[in-house]
This record gives sequence, C-alpha cells and structure tokens, in this order.
Amino acid sequence: MNPTFGTILIKVLAGAIQSGTILLLPTLGEVLTERSGVLNLGLEGLMLIGAFFGFLGAIKTGNPYIGLLLGMVAAGAAAAIHAFICVTLRGNQTVTGLALTIFGAGLTSFYGDHWVSQRLTTAIKPMAIPGLSQIPVVGPILFSQDLIVYAGYILVALFWFLLFKTKVGVNLRAVGENAKAADAMGINVAGTRYFWTILGGALAGAGGAYITCCIHPYWLNGITSGKGWIAVALVVFAMWNPFNALVGGFLFGSIEAMQLQLQAGGTYINSALLSMLPYVTTFAVIIVATLIVRVRHVGTPKELGIPYAREEK
Amino acid sequence: MLRFEKRDKTPVRLRVLVPICSVLLGLLVGSIVMLFARVNPVRVYGAIVKGAFGSAYTFSETLVIAVPLILISAGLCLVYRMKFFNIGAKGQYIIGAICGSYLALFGPATMSRPLLLTLMMLLGTLGGALWAVIPALLKVYWNVNEVIATLLLNYIASYILWFFMYGTWRDPGSHGFPLSKNFALNAQLPRIIAAPSRLHIGLFFGVAAAVIVWIIIRKTRFGYEARVLGENERAARYAGINVVKTVIIGAVISGGLAGLAGIAHTSAVLRVLQLEINSDYGYTAIIAAWLAGLDPLVAIGVSVLLAALEAGGYQIQIVMRVPFGIVGVIESSILFCLLAGEIITHYRVTLTRRLSTPLALDERARGGA
Repeated sequence: MNPTFGTILIKVLAGAIQSGTILLLPTLGEVLTERSGVLNLGLEGLMLIGAFFGFLGAIKTGNPYIGLLLGMVAAGAAAAIHAFICVTLRGNQTVTGLALTIFGAGLTSFYGDHWVSQRLTTAIKPMAIPGLSQIPVVGPILFSQDLIVYAGYILVALFWFLLFKTKVGVNLRAVGENAKAADAMGINVAGTRYFWTILGGALAGAGGAYITCCIHPYWLNGITSGKGWIAVALVVFAMWNPFNALVGGFLFGSIEAMQLQLQAGGTYINSALLSMLPYVTTFAVIIVATLIVRVRHVGTPKELGIPYAREEK
Repeated sequence: MLRFEKRDKTPVRLRVLVPICSVLLGLLVGSIVMLFARVNPVRVYGAIVKGAFGSAYTFSETLVIAVPLILISAGLCLVYRMKFFNIGAKGQYIIGAICGSYLALFGPATMSRPLLLTLMMLLGTLGGALWAVIPALLKVYWNVNEVIATLLLNYIASYILWFFMYGTWRDPGSHGFPLSKNFALNAQLPRIIAAPSRLHIGLFFGVAAAVIVWIIIRKTRFGYEARVLGENERAARYAGINVVKTVIIGAVISGGLAGLAGIAHTSAVLRVLQLEINSDYGYTAIIAAWLAGLDPLVAIGVSVLLAALEAGGYQIQIVMRVPFGIVGVIESSILFCLLAGEIITHYRVTLTRRLSTPLALDERARGGA
C-alpha cells in the first residue's frame, strides 16, 4: 500500500471517530430516553444548548472539561422541561420536542451573538493511551483520541450492560414497554422517565459541547447544523440498542469525515451535493431501518410517546 | 398528589384563557432571558410593538410576513388533526419557490403576466405538494416516522436551493453572490398597496385557503374522517376510513399550501431567488397552527400576531442590536406553556390529600378493578 495513502486513510478514520462521537453521545442518550417510553425530538436544541454553554464555561474558566460539564448540566436542565411537560402534564411529545429545538436555537443565538467567532485558547486535547496507541493502524485510529471519545466507548459498554443485564435495565425497559404493568410491579414510572429523559438530555449536551470544547473550539449560531436530527434518526437505525448506536455513530462519522476530506481535497463534486450527503444517507437509512424493524419486530418500545395515566384504562 | 379526570368537553373559557395565558407567560420568559443579558425587556417589547404596528407601512410589512404563515398554518391545521406531524413546511416552501422560480427565470419571456403567474403559482404548489407526498407515502405504506423524514427533507431542500444558487441559476452579473437574475415584471406577483409597502395579493390566497380548509375540516366528509383518524386510528380503520387516501390528500394540501407560500413570497416580495428566502416561516407556522388550536380561521389572527413578533424582531435587531434569537425564545416558550396548558383543557385537575399510593390501593380506593 502506498504509505502516504495509508497515513491519509488513518487520519480520515481517526477524524471519523471524532465526528462519530458527536453523534454517538446524543444517540446513546436518546436510546435510553426512548427505552423509558419518552420521545425527545429536541436533541438538536439540546445539543445547541450544550454547545453554547460548554463554550461559555470553557472560555470563562479556561478549562474545557468544566465547559463540557456545564454544557451537560444546561442541556439536562432543558430536558427537564421536556420531562415535566411530557411526563407530569402528559403533553404532546412530538410538539414539545419541536418547541425544545426552537428554544435551544433561539436561546443560544440570543446569548451567543456576543461570542460569535471567538475562539477558545485551550480546547480538549488528545491523550494517547500508553501501549494501546502503539498498535499499528488500530492504535492511531482508536486509542490516540481524547478523553471524550474514550468515555463514549465506555458508556456504550456500560449502558449495554445496564440495559440488558441489570435490574435497573429491566425496570427501565418495563416502563417503556408497559407502564401499567411496571407500575403494578412497584416501579416508579414517572421517576424513571424523568431520570432517563434528563440523562439523555445531558448526553445530547455533551455531544454539543464536544463540538465547541474540542473539535471546532469557537462559537457560531446553529453550529450543530442538524446533527441532533441525524441522532434522532440513528436511534431507529440502532434499533434502541447501545452497541448499534456505536456502529451508527461511527458510520455517519465516516461519511462526515469523508465529505470534509473530499471538500478539502478540491474534488470536482459540487460542494452543495457533498454537504447534502449526510442528510440523504440518513434519509435512506431511516427508511431501511424502519423496514427491518417492521419485519423483525425488534426494538421499538411499545409505549414510546404514550404518556402514562394511572386512572385511564 | 394531583389527580386528573378526563373531561368530556372543554369549557370555552378555558379554550380562550389557556392560549392567552401562554402568550403572556411566553413574553415573561422572554423578559427573564433578556434580563440575564442586561437588556431592558420593556424597551424591547415597546420597540417590537412599534416595529410591527407603528405606522401603516410597518403594519403592512407585518402582514407581508403573515401571508406565508397564514397559508402554511392552514394546511398544518388539517394534517395535524389527522396526527400526521408534517414539520417539513420549510422544505416544501423551498421546493415550491424553486419550482415556481424555474418558470420565472427560464420560462417563455413573452408569456402574458396573468398566465405566467398562474403557472408559477401552480408549479410552486405542485412542488411543495410533491415534497410532502414523499414522507406521507413512506408513512402510510412503511410506517416511516414522518417527523424525522420531513425534517431531513428540510435540510435536503436547503441544499438543493444552495446547489442551484451557486450553480447554473446564479446571475453572472451578481459578482459571485448566490442570487438569480431579477424576476421580469410579468413574473412578479402584484403588490396591493403603494410602494414602499410590499404587501401582495398572496394575502387573498391566504385568507381563501384558511376559509377553504376550515370548510374542509368542519363541513366535509373528508374533514370528519381526518378528525376521526387523528383521534383513534384503529377506530378509523374499523369505520372503513381509507387511511392511505386521507393522509396523502392531507399531505398534498398542506405541502401544496407551503409551496404556494414559498413561490408567492419569492415572486412578490423578494422578486429574485436567493439563498435566504425566509423559509423558517415553515417552523413559525407550526406554532401558529398549534396556538390556534388547529382552527385555520383562528390561525389567521395568530399568524398576524406572530408575524408582528417577527417583524418587530427584525427591527430590534437593526435598531437596538438585540439578537433576533429572542423571538425564537418567546415563540418556543409560548408553545411550551400551551402544551403544558393542555392538561387543564383535557383534564379536570384536583389536589388529593393522599401523597403517593401503590397502584392496587389507588384502584381500590376509587372502587376500580
């Protein structure tokens, strides 16, 4: 193999893992939220809130990790609005999620106006894992990344184990499959839904903050450019399984990285068509994934989007 | 602990009170957000009112924004009633603008104005309808989530516009700006008040559309079936309602009206096709439809109100340097309050003394199963 081609490919794939992590975190969070029966379509808004408050925290404290944390807290708080309206007040989950997206976009462009184009001086930096990063090919792609990417790997394993191998996971799935039965078993339906909605929101915020605290360490209005919606679609692709979320996230990360590489390489392909590529692919994937889910009857929590009302039959 | 009892019928006073309180609370949330940025909300709201209603000209500019909102929200009132959550009006608006503009830019130059304009509006409507039919077909045949599908189609439509504006449709004399050449006079939808007002005959399209959709919802068999479908899909199927047909027709109407809004606004107000054609009205119209309780006639008034907020929002950005984002905060907060308020319109809420009980005890206490 041509050595220069090899190094370029490794660089592109390493970039794909980074872009993939932006999508993985919100997708993972939404997998859990939807498993509990709550549909949160506001990921795009939550990612923007995470991205802006992450940036703000990082620029004020000089520490991008504190920024990331602030982004998560802010997005988690915004997700609590969704939980309150959808769980306690039984509001329409589709429209509430949409309101959340408009809210996130409006709020961050209002407060963010002052910060447009300002850059962070210290962003999150890669930390190669000693030993593992020395493995040829795999090392530089998977193990010469930053802490957030590693956290992504760990969360996938952790949530998969939690969801399918623990009591907590059984309860969580029970609430999303049949809230009435879960209630009869003594599980706190509302509490479960609140918890996973807020946690999912915090993870969406982490995805957004990862953009501004690491990958593009500056603020622009609408910096997430639809990634939240791609994440919503990826949940269907993942069939509500954390491990598949990893596959989906990195697959779409590759498309993003490839598209950027092609644009930077000055190919003759029209840049509008290249920028459209992730959305077209997502559109195709959501159709195929829906068909597969239909045939195999897997994944979709039965009571997704349906509020639980104890007094109703 | 709160107890909820389902209402059979919502009292009229609640149906009026909840939206009004939602608007007030939305403005309150907007004020709080402004205070955090050390912006004086009283001055901002004053400037918004002045920027929207201050003079005959500013009010006509408010109506210019209201026109696409009225058109789009009328269609959304219909499809949301059948629980087909089309949030792709933005994309349908863009595709409508592109399709209609094609005739304006490349059509026969000698065609008479009424004929050319009629064809442009038709083509725009058709384009928007087509863009909405795709997700509708995917929904009814394969159960693909229409929210995700219509939303992704918004992004795809934006890039299609981008493709044309940086490509073959760009005016060579535009110095590299993504603009088409100006529409010829016979491709400009007539304006109805003297310059500088840009208010155009699309206003009549909007009002007519709202009335027609209202009649469809209230007075036709199709409208009745749409409402039944929205309330209970299984019941609708048992009653022999053709779900596929109902949803597709709904999508054609709502997408078509969004497409018409796109081409009417482009042809009458902008008179040129460009990257920024105010397609975000597609999102604002969703709020208008919901705030109007999915009644297209009420949506006319609500559209004017939201248009005033947007028109005023542009003004405060120019005059006071207050970012336009505040409009999104206010609009979404209104929507949040409205959604939260539905608990009061749908249920009778009472406070009970017992804190939290296991399900079995709770049911026994109510003499249930």
